[in-house]
Amino acid sequence: MKHSTKRIAALLIAAGLTIAGLTACSSSSSPSSDKGKTLDVAYWNYGPGAVSDNNALKKGFEKENPGVKVTLTPVAGDGWGDYVANLAIMIASGKHPDIAFMASEGVKFLDQNNLLLPINNYLKTDPEAKKLKADIAPSLLKAFSSGNDIASLPNGFNDFVIYYNTALFQKAGIPAPTGDWTWDQFQAVAKQLTTNGTYGYAWTGTEIAPGVLPWIANQGGNLVGKNACSATANSAPVEKTYDYLEGLIKAGISPTPPASNDLITDFENGKIAMFGAGRYVIPTMLGQGFKSFDITRYPTGSTYQTTLGASGYPILKSSPNPDLAWKFQKYAASAAVQDAEIGTPTAPFDSIPTLRSTANKTVAAGIPPANTKLYYDAVDNYKVLTPFPGPARYTQFAAAVLQDTQLIFGGDDTVKQGLDQMQKDLEPIVTCSN
Amino acid sequence: MTATVNSGASSAPQKRKQARSSIYEIPQRFVTFVILGIAAIAVAAPFLWIFRGAVTPTDRELYELPPSFPLDATIGNFFKVFQQVPFAQFALNSIIVATSITVLQLITCSTAGYAFARLNFRGKNIAFAIVLGGLMIPLQVTIVPLYLALAKVDLTNTLWSLILPPIFSAFGIFLMRQHFLSLPNELEEAARIDGAGHLRMFFQVMVPLSGPALATLAIITFTYWWNDLFTPLVMISSVNQETLPVGLVLLAGRYTTGSLGTIAAGITMAIIPVLIVFIIAQRWIVQSIASSGLKI
Amino acid sequence: MSTESVRGNGGGVLMGTTPGGEKHSAPKIGAPKSRRSKRRADGLAAFGFLAPSGIGFVLFVLAPTLGVIVLSFFNWNLISSGTFVGFANFVQLFKDPHVLAVYASTTYMAVVILAINIVVGLLLAVLLETRMPRWLRAFFRLSFLFPFVVSSSAVALIWRFLLDNDFGLVNYWLSFLGVPHINWLGTTQWAPIAVIIVNSWKTLGFSILIYVAGLQGIPNEIREAAIVDGANAWTRFWRVTLPMLSPTVFFLIVINTINAFQVFAEPRVLTQGGPGDSSRTIVEYIYDTAFGGLQIGYASAIGLTLVVLLIILTAIQFRLSRRWTFYQ
Repeated sequence: MKHSTKRIAALLIAAGLTIAGLTACSSSSSPSSDKGKTLDVAYWNYGPGAVSDNNALKKGFEKENPGVKVTLTPVAGDGWGDYVANLAIMIASGKHPDIAFMASEGVKFLDQNNLLLPINNYLKTDPEAKKLKADIAPSLLKAFSSGNDIASLPNGFNDFVIYYNTALFQKAGIPAPTGDWTWDQFQAVAKQLTTNGTYGYAWTGTEIAPGVLPWIANQGGNLVGKNACSATANSAPVEKTYDYLEGLIKAGISPTPPASNDLITDFENGKIAMFGAGRYVIPTMLGQGFKSFDITRYPTGSTYQTTLGASGYPILKSSPNPDLAWKFQKYAASAAVQDAEIGTPTAPFDSIPTLRSTANKTVAAGIPPANTKLYYDAVDNYKVLTPFPGPARYTQFAAAVLQDTQLIFGGDDTVKQGLDQMQKDLEPIVTCSN
Repeated sequence: MTATVNSGASSAPQKRKQARSSIYEIPQRFVTFVILGIAAIAVAAPFLWIFRGAVTPTDRELYELPPSFPLDATIGNFFKVFQQVPFAQFALNSIIVATSITVLQLITCSTAGYAFARLNFRGKNIAFAIVLGGLMIPLQVTIVPLYLALAKVDLTNTLWSLILPPIFSAFGIFLMRQHFLSLPNELEEAARIDGAGHLRMFFQVMVPLSGPALATLAIITFTYWWNDLFTPLVMISSVNQETLPVGLVLLAGRYTTGSLGTIAAGITMAIIPVLIVFIIAQRWIVQSIASSGLKI
Repeated sequence: MSTESVRGNGGGVLMGTTPGGEKHSAPKIGAPKSRRSKRRADGLAAFGFLAPSGIGFVLFVLAPTLGVIVLSFFNWNLISSGTFVGFANFVQLFKDPHVLAVYASTTYMAVVILAINIVVGLLLAVLLETRMPRWLRAFFRLSFLFPFVVSSSAVALIWRFLLDNDFGLVNYWLSFLGVPHINWLGTTQWAPIAVIIVNSWKTLGFSILIYVAGLQGIPNEIREAAIVDGANAWTRFWRVTLPMLSPTVFFLIVINTINAFQVFAEPRVLTQGGPGDSSRTIVEYIYDTAFGGLQIGYASAIGLTLVVLLIILTAIQFRLSRRWTFYQ
């Protein structure tokens, strides 16, 4: 108690110091006292799995590298943007982790703020990396980059596919989709599945991917231009996509996108026959014993592109031990770690392994759905949407897109009006000049 | 027109009986109960859904329309909460934080409220205006400088970073000031004649008459900080220092794929301590009012 | 913002009903000469009584607020070094079309939330005073206070489900009353109403609690005297209860105004402020700017506009209150 009163007294002075030190506190790299033997790993504590997964990583890495100590810094966050903000506040206060967990959404943020140590050189020189790289679909690295800078070896990803209720398809006498279908064919199938109490297809109103993004990708479009430095919200492919999706709502095939992102239960209950999602929904469905579903590709528009998001452990530039950090990153993406995460048919891993070999083992493990192979094939055999629409101010970007999308699908704006508004809102947010 | 100190409940019932003779009484009371009943049901209905969710084994049943009480009700969801997050640790942290803040605020707000209501000093109006100004600044703005300052003295990621910032409460001071303003002056005069100093006046005259106000402040403070999500989300970066609201967020998970039933079980358990505080405080309010007949 | 005058104007007439004045004879405002010497003596004591709050204020309100003021002159994203930009953030305020739109929606929602708390809260609190069995009163009180005891964001999560357009329970039950499905969270017309409903549902219990405490403080003698005088319930309410309750009403207006302008959790979880800016509150906009866009300087500038607005509103409320609040 005595100690803390002293601290409180120091607090006011500190408040003044902080303000004064506003311009100074950023770029100085913090000296690490432990002579290259400590590694500070910040990760997003998004739920029960995050803690145990990262603890396992820490233990495994320390075992493989005796004498090295890994400290874990869980950063809380009610959503992705919250995590990044809390990480930034931590960095602003003078803490500099060596490694920070990052998803595709945050790569550009790291790079634009000069925080990211790209791994291009390591990939070129490290022989072990070559082996790993050969086992990772090239498009995964491309989607986890900012420009030519590769952010990190990804250790998990999600691509977006259509989930369909096999029981409802059987009931309606529709053969299982092969994935080779056009937008019109998709609409016809969805219409056939639509009955009183069941929508043929639904997407969430709270995420851009899934949601509108995979559709835009299949018109050959994107919400951002080259290198995610400009907004392209009112471009022709986007407009075509919104016209189509609005048509689904008007035809009664789809509900107005719900504000909740838990379409899973409505899907299980047969209120929705098809919806788009990544692999992250299957632990929930399988955990609840729901198995009558399978996956297929989004229908092909003017083209077909897989939309994906990856995650990994990028090295921060301020790290005094980048080589050790690289070792950790490699370990996190290694076959030993990924194989151990596969899980069981009732409690599977919530992402797709980034190693082809591990993905194949997942298929062999018999984890539903039947078409599990598609998760990896979709990035190995098809074009992938690049750049990932993740401008440095991703959270604001996504919020603006969703709010203006709501205006369109809620019937307040026409597609044209809404997209023009979106473009106007995005222009100041999507930029590469700081 | 001062509140008469012994106006207690004793005289009330018999006087109220006189009013009963009115012929409007019966329909009036009927309408009253209908309005209260409808309002209470409307307000409480979402909770019935939460409690039902807490004992429903699968989300699939929970989402079914029309909703019905699950015949296969379980307490499995409660176990899942403990399996998925260190709920007991979170609860303990929440109890420490909310209780400490409440105790501290009862002290800081009652003393300051007393000074603003009962003492005369230069700059009082300006000081009070500044106090109210403290209400106007949203935490979402000040949290960044606050975090940086607390980080400088190594208090972030400790429960102190949650307990200390709320020790000043403009709301609490305002509430206590309004209360002390309403106490009759005669009490003060009498005590002064007895030679009571400010400290004795405060502790022996004012505080004993402040049961309802203090209890109200305690309920509000405890509840508010019990439920605070924003501060711990920013301040705390270590799993075993987190509080319950963060625990509920963790249950929802990364893609909000967490089971609603489990979340409902978490909410249900998070409500219980607050309910206990409320029931204790409410009894205290009622008793104090009955014995003093004073207002806030 | 003269507290002295608010305090001093008591003692006077209360619509001609001045019962139970036996102890009233002592002069309230104190003789001027004794007051002066007392004031000096109070100074030291006041310092002591204010010290605990004062320390907290300086450390945790004043210092961060000064920080916010300084930050508002910088362009800073927490990571890169901040640059001093003078008044640029304040200039941007006037160029940003969202600021005006967000203030408009905030004001709309705040006014309705305030009205519901003050009027409906009072109505329910008065009705709670009706003679009824103890357990029933406890039941009603508990139900009304229930929403107040749970965390806003957790509850908003549940409401998001309940208010869903197609699968939500609210629309399901309303359909039995012949109400067509309302797109609560997806249209500019209904989204702010959804936020109003959920926030009022949450805050009403607090207002009722304060009202009930205030009502119970009204001396019975006064009401009884009015009854003896033959006043009916309606007249009693307007001429006795309400004036006696005016300090409570005033307190609630001040507090609820400030709270209503700082609504945050509900729009964030329910609608993310959309569609467009229709259900976005200024605090949510500040949060989005600071935590979503990491534009700390600009967010600070917006925050300061809210502070100034609330200070002006509160000052007006205090000034007006002299005309209608009544202190015993």
